[in-house]
Amino acid sequence: MSTVPGQAIFRDVPEPRRIGLSQKVWNSRFDYLYVAPALIVMLIVIGYPIYYTIELSFFNTPASLALSAKQFNGLDNYVTILTSPVFWKVTWQTVLWTVLSTFFAFMIGLGAALALHREFAGRGVLRALLLIPWVVSAVAASYVWKWLYHSDFGAISAMLTQVGWIDKPINFIDNTNTSLYALIVVNVWKEFSFAMIMLMAGLQTVPDTLLRAAQVDGASPWQRFWHVTFPHLQGVSMVTLLLLAVQNFNSFIIPWIMTGGGPAGSSDIWITHIYQLAFGRQRWGVASAYAVILFIVMMVLGYFYVRALTKGDDARAAG
Amino acid sequence: MAQVILKDVVKNYGDVYAVNHVSLTVEDGEFVALVGPSGCGKTTTLNLVAGLIPMSGGTINIGDRDVTDLDPKDRDIAMVFQNYALYPQKSVYKNLAFPLQMRKLPKEEIDKRVQAAAKTLDIVHLLERKPRELSGGQQQRVALGRALVREPRAFLMDEPLSNLDAKLRVQMRSEIKRFHQDLNATIIYVTHDQLEAVTMSDKMAVMNGGFLQQYDSPANVFANPVNMFVASFVGSPAMSLVPLTAASKDGKVVLQSPEGWEMPLSDANGRKALSAKSSKVVLGGRHSTITVHKSQVPGAVPGKVYTVEPTGDVTFAQVFVSGAVVNVSVAPTFQLRPDEPVFLEFDQDRMHLFDGETEMALKLA
Amino acid sequence: MTMELSAGAAKRRGAGGWRWSGRIFLLLLLGFTVMPMIWMFITSLKTGFAAMQYPPQWWPAEPTLENYWRLIDPSGNVGRDFIQYFWNSIWVSTLTTILAVVVAVPAAYAFSRFRFPGRNFLFFAVLLRNMFPAVVFLVPLFILMKALGLVNTHGSLILTYLTFGLPLAIWLLKGFYDNIPVQLEQAARIDGATRFQAFFLIVMPLSTPGIIATSIYSFIGAWNEYIYAYTFLTRHDQMTLPVGIQRFFSENATDWPGLMAATFMMSIPVVVLFLVLQRYFVRALTEGAVKH
Repeated sequence: MSTVPGQAIFRDVPEPRRIGLSQKVWNSRFDYLYVAPALIVMLIVIGYPIYYTIELSFFNTPASLALSAKQFNGLDNYVTILTSPVFWKVTWQTVLWTVLSTFFAFMIGLGAALALHREFAGRGVLRALLLIPWVVSAVAASYVWKWLYHSDFGAISAMLTQVGWIDKPINFIDNTNTSLYALIVVNVWKEFSFAMIMLMAGLQTVPDTLLRAAQVDGASPWQRFWHVTFPHLQGVSMVTLLLLAVQNFNSFIIPWIMTGGGPAGSSDIWITHIYQLAFGRQRWGVASAYAVILFIVMMVLGYFYVRALTKGDDARAAG
Repeated sequence: MAQVILKDVVKNYGDVYAVNHVSLTVEDGEFVALVGPSGCGKTTTLNLVAGLIPMSGGTINIGDRDVTDLDPKDRDIAMVFQNYALYPQKSVYKNLAFPLQMRKLPKEEIDKRVQAAAKTLDIVHLLERKPRELSGGQQQRVALGRALVREPRAFLMDEPLSNLDAKLRVQMRSEIKRFHQDLNATIIYVTHDQLEAVTMSDKMAVMNGGFLQQYDSPANVFANPVNMFVASFVGSPAMSLVPLTAASKDGKVVLQSPEGWEMPLSDANGRKALSAKSSKVVLGGRHSTITVHKSQVPGAVPGKVYTVEPTGDVTFAQVFVSGAVVNVSVAPTFQLRPDEPVFLEFDQDRMHLFDGETEMALKLA
Repeated sequence: MTMELSAGAAKRRGAGGWRWSGRIFLLLLLGFTVMPMIWMFITSLKTGFAAMQYPPQWWPAEPTLENYWRLIDPSGNVGRDFIQYFWNSIWVSTLTTILAVVVAVPAAYAFSRFRFPGRNFLFFAVLLRNMFPAVVFLVPLFILMKALGLVNTHGSLILTYLTFGLPLAIWLLKGFYDNIPVQLEQAARIDGATRFQAFFLIVMPLSTPGIIATSIYSFIGAWNEYIYAYTFLTRHDQMTLPVGIQRFFSENATDWPGLMAATFMMSIPVVVLFLVLQRYFVRALTEGAVKH
């Protein structure tokens, strides 16, 4: 007990009884009813697949998916993956894809959020327009960008030619040197608006009085941003960066539809690679092992994600 | 209305005791203020009485019923919240009617009671508005009205005035007091403002660190604080406390300062000082019991003026005495300057002595 | 005096410069953002022949709505399929949305309000779902759906869509519930309501914007989903739009104007839904991430 003046009077009273975990669980049994339906659905469609993926990753499976014929092969699938040069190539491309997409989407989103923060005529319309790529399906985005990049009739090549920067159309996506970067542009186009709204909401939490105080103290716009605005954005920036990174890490549609990972695997990232292994080459066991590796990487990222999301959550009291 | 009895009430979260074995009885029709600094357990205590959080130990009786394990809805109490907690989607009328609807009263009866409550609180013209269209004071009245319509056994109020501006607060203070008198209501009122507690309540329960420190009428708490915490919490400006050492000298008891001076005590005070666990004794005095002199008089102790705050009627000053700050008051005509040496004479009959070890007030056996 | 003046002027010029660079940046960004959408629309107005020209016609010489008519003409092959895909998408997305919200509302409320043992762990587990790429679940779910005989049914899609719809819905709704003062329910319970009544009569009506927002999210998520639909559905009459429109696309002879018209039509419902309900949408997304 802490020392508090006056406590002497009460020193001899007994401690209240302690309640154990099972008692606590029993006491909150009705609370669980609220979450039960959600948990049951998630258990079937998430718990089971995760378990099954892990199991399959230790087996050699026949292409036919006649799983009664699967053979246990220990860590063979993992050894196959980790010793394959393709794995390291795809991993490097995945890192490039994730890091570059996340960085540029975040920076463009930040710029847009700052520029949109101040009230001006047409701001609402502008914000809505800038949000459209994020709402439009990735399938639609992939097709239209594929058309824009088209090697013969692409609008981008045509524009660059008209401006005089190039002489003949560029083959953006059928080129092992540029395909990955061309896809990153599409991905950034699709995702920067997400960073933008998150950061716009974050900017609203920056107290005006602080900015004004900094202005009175003679801080330049840049100093105001760096010393007042930026520190307030840190929390939401963390969440945004993590969500973007996770989303990019898990990308499938854009590379799959636009290049299928090609040409020559130059735009292959983990997810497209796993998909090909499983549904293209029917190597279910190896694909599962891949998925497990991915899973472990995501668990680490996931830890930080949830920590960023639930920070300060328990501080809010409730009955 | 009914009596509310708390017996050995405990609320702990693991090793943290928000409420630590609190026992007190609120008599029928009594206005009791639960008062203390933030985090002292007063709001938790109120929530326990309301049944909003489960108790870790002890019992609570309201009227003739043991309500320890009852749901809030079955305790027949009303509560006014600090943020008013008016239902934002409902009109004022529906806010007032809600508790009656929940009790399945007939429609005409509900209307009669809502109209009556609205009339009492002078909010008839607001009945069709939504809470967000009301001023803070109006929301406050609606919150009171919602408590009032039901004629509950007891009213619980959680800092109901703290969101109002100073002027409105003084006005609502007297209205709530009036309300208490007219209804002869049993009220438990939580506040961090000791002035509110002193001016409004029949009895005040001073809490700190989860413990009930003292439970008595404001006059008694003011005159006979049980320990140093209560002494320094109740009263404005606070009672000044000067840590000194008690010693016997030529058959007399004196308080000695490390600065070298000593202050003789009366016989009664001397016996009190000697009953302390050790020689450490803390001298306490309210500003109204201390006389300021410009030159040494017998029994006065030396100090140095720190700040001077004229308020018109009376001038307050803070004086350094033996390393502690002592609040004094003088007539506005009495000129004091910062850093001026002065001599303070404590009224032997009205001074307080505390045990320096236990911090409890020293009393004659 | 003059010193101060010029310093002030410089500062103002500085701020103006920032504002202008902001505007230019926004303008460029707007171009980048809408250019593909505009090109999608322009292409959809061209004939197949007009699309295959270089340099392209920036505006079609003879704009035509032919591609759209073809899509919505139920008497033609293309139209019949497209309309079928469209209905499939609406059906799957709507059912997913309803189920997700019904299941997520109590769960989100419990996560926001109650402190039962294991709460943090369960919330973590729920949120974690969105960390995992669809591919992790694809193989086992494909096997599971095969075993349950659900391949080529919409049931398989709705069930799997719930798994990513639910965590998001729970998270979004929890953000809303967190912002409803707990005192409102306490007041209701003191006023005589049970815990359930307090939730149903007081909290539910207040969380309507949250429920609307969550519904839009679930709907758009399901509407745009591709991987599961691509894997689980092989029969044409079952396909949803994102998978179905592939029929306009074959490596050698792509009907680009037709494809652009189809993607445009596919985008209209979500963009309209979004523009109409933008207010709720944006608030919901950021509610949980930004603490006010």
